[in-house]
Amino acid sequence: MALTKLNNKAVANVTSIPVALGDMVLVSSATASSSASIEFSLGNYKEYQFYFVNIHPSVNEASLGINFSTDGGSNYNVTKTTTFFQAYHFENGSATALQYSGSADLAQSTADQRIISGIDDDNDSSASGTLTLYNPSSATYVKHFISLCNTVYPEVPNLCVQQYCAGYGNTVSAINAVRFQMSSGNIDAGTILMYGIN
Amino acid sequence: MSHKIVNGIKVELTQVEIAEIQANQAAWENSAFDRAIADVRQRRNALLAATDYLALSDNILSADMAAYRQSLRDITNNVETIEQVNALVFPVKP
Repeated sequence: MALTKLNNKAVANVTSIPVALGDMVLVSSATASSSASIEFSLGNYKEYQFYFVNIHPSVNEASLGINFSTDGGSNYNVTKTTTFFQAYHFENGSATALQYSGSADLAQSTADQRIISGIDDDNDSSASGTLTLYNPSSATYVKHFISLCNTVYPEVPNLCVQQYCAGYGNTVSAINAVRFQMSSGNIDAGTILMYGIN
Repeated sequence: MSHKIVNGIKVELTQVEIAEIQANQAAWENSAFDRAIADVRQRRNALLAATDYLALSDNILSADMAAYRQSLRDITNNVETIEQVNALVFPVKP
């Protein structure tokens, strides 16, 4: 049966596709090219999902960090408390481990939170993953976020390192912008996609 | 380092932003040793914990295992630079 109506409008009169509750909407994306940072303004989605695709640093072993703003991106300095743990496996199979990374977590700090810690800068190396930010526009609760990423860590031989970071921005002010930048150097290449979910 | 990407649009950095980024990156690089030695200690502690059961009072610890565990405890001795951290070799479990 042919579609003749959408959202109670004749198809010819539809100007946009309605978004159902729970749908993921691609809000914005950015592809780095020797970029100092990638920033996104946030709206009122209940949840934001970020996808990091083949993030490549300009400096070997640099880490990708995140920070939040409550003033539209003028300052990225939200206080955060976080945890960070990882599993690794060398390419030659020589060692594996599951470990908490006390050097990568934060305790009530306004510094950037590492979400991908240590990315090899070889031409074929990169890091990818996801991060979920929950209800950033809440005026009542702290702002939880959880990331899961995988990186090629620069040792000889390389390691596959799966990294899990979680924490909260300890503020009841709405978070209205988010920034990603490397701990050292630029984001040489890679794409970050931002989806919103209601 | 001359630009950032805001909502998908390339934006030139201001001098203030460049100075802030450079300060942050200098602080990061200056703390490289602290991060590296912390990671070494965590890896060392995990390896020690993995053999703690062998050192229980009702178990006789072999000389090789005792030496291995002592080597782990000593691995951060006299390590004061990032180059020394990077050159560390963990002992092999007997």
